Amino acid sequence: MNCPENRDLHAYLDEELDPARRAAFAQHLPGCSECTRDLEAQRALRTGLRDGGFRVTAPVALRERIRSSLRPAVVAPARRMLLPWLAAAALLIGVLGAAAGTYLSLRRPADSLDVPRQLVSAHVRSLMEKHLCDVESTDKHTVKPWFQGKVDFSLPVKDFKDQEYPLEGGRLDYLNDRPVAALVYRRHKHVINLFVWPASEAEASPQATTRRGYNLLHWTQDGLHFWAVSDLNAEELAEFGRLQREAP
Amino acid sequence: MQAESRRRSILMSQAMIDDLADRPPPCAPRREGRPLTEPNKQARFERTALPHLDAAYNLARWLTRDEHDAEDVVQEAYLRAYRFFDGFRGGDGRAWLLAVVRNTCYTWLKRNRPPTPPTVFDEALHAADESFNPETLFLQGAAREMLHEALGELSPEFREVVVLRELEGLSYKEIAAVTEAPLGTVMSRLARGRGMLRDRLARRLHEES
Repeated sequence: MNCPENRDLHAYLDEELDPARRAAFAQHLPGCSECTRDLEAQRALRTGLRDGGFRVTAPVALRERIRSSLRPAVVAPARRMLLPWLAAAALLIGVLGAAAGTYLSLRRPADSLDVPRQLVSAHVRSLMEKHLCDVESTDKHTVKPWFQGKVDFSLPVKDFKDQEYPLEGGRLDYLNDRPVAALVYRRHKHVINLFVWPASEAEASPQATTRRGYNLLHWTQDGLHFWAVSDLNAEELAEFGRLQREAP
Repeated sequence: MQAESRRRSILMSQAMIDDLADRPPPCAPRREGRPLTEPNKQARFERTALPHLDAAYNLARWLTRDEHDAEDVVQEAYLRAYRFFDGFRGGDGRAWLLAVVRNTCYTWLKRNRPPTPPTVFDEALHAADESFNPETLFLQGAAREMLHEALGELSPEFREVVVLRELEGLSYKEIAAVTEAPLGTVMSRLARGRGMLRDRLARRLHEES
């Protein structure tokens, strides 16, 4: 693998290259024995995988098993089995609650879970559902009022069009069943989701982390949690965070 | 048979504990709006999710590498998907469902299979054989078996992208949604996975001859 063009080989094979790079690679092929040989090998491998009968189909009985498991009448016995568990759990919670209730009620529900992991899921979900924004606007004076009555805090909405981090809109998202505000920004082709909800501490300096290849940046400001999530590189995400924190 | 049902009951009770923890599957759609009435919800869910049963089973079968386990996992995945279906707004139903199946698979594997050290495969040592001639390869029945075995032996993160791409025909974007990974990661895993398949085949063919 010495040819630098080789990196486009799989995207070429899968027809996932943009037209310009596709044309460039096609033009490169005849003159490069390495890429030509690799492409032939990968085409043969593909034929083997696709025509080898490797895809299995579900047993007919499984479809029926699933359908009947969805019917309430069949779900009911499972619920009955669950009742003693629930009773035991409720008792346990009651006992613990007497001691720790006050403390727990003051904690934000999301504080104790793997928040970065959930945020990455929420980020991916927002890209997947073709429903990135509930309110689509580059105007912060449109986006901010939209959140009124939907979240129980005053959401600061800032735009960084001039620095090439334009605001695209906002969305109401859920984190552990708690509504959180999600502001959507774009950096070139990368989407940045900025999740915001109330924090128990007033200020905390920014901390970067990664989950499943995504970059996350967290800080606390004026009693609010801010989490920026994106597949953008860490440097630019840090710059985005700095702009957010320092803008009036 | 007895062991089978015992295993299944362990599976169920663990699933119930998961319910109590009330953590939605990572790819669950947002919960919002008025909940659907039960018969409507079931009908809509069946229309959305059941057409992808073969894709779900194929993925589970390749990740668990066992047909009975795959059936259990798929059934559990459908129940999970059903529970979090209320807010589904009709995006890509297949990608959404496969993401739930995939997560259920990994949870299940962690719970039921002791971790095995991955087969060490030094790519530098097994660089592609220059004389490997793939054109004639698939005319032989033995090569098919070798390829089947080699795919099964890939570590899961490479196996799943090859299965989703070549057996299910998903686009890079769809694979990224199912595996919750960035597009660049999908591309590099696919390239590495295919590279490893090719190298393994070349090595096996070399050993055979």
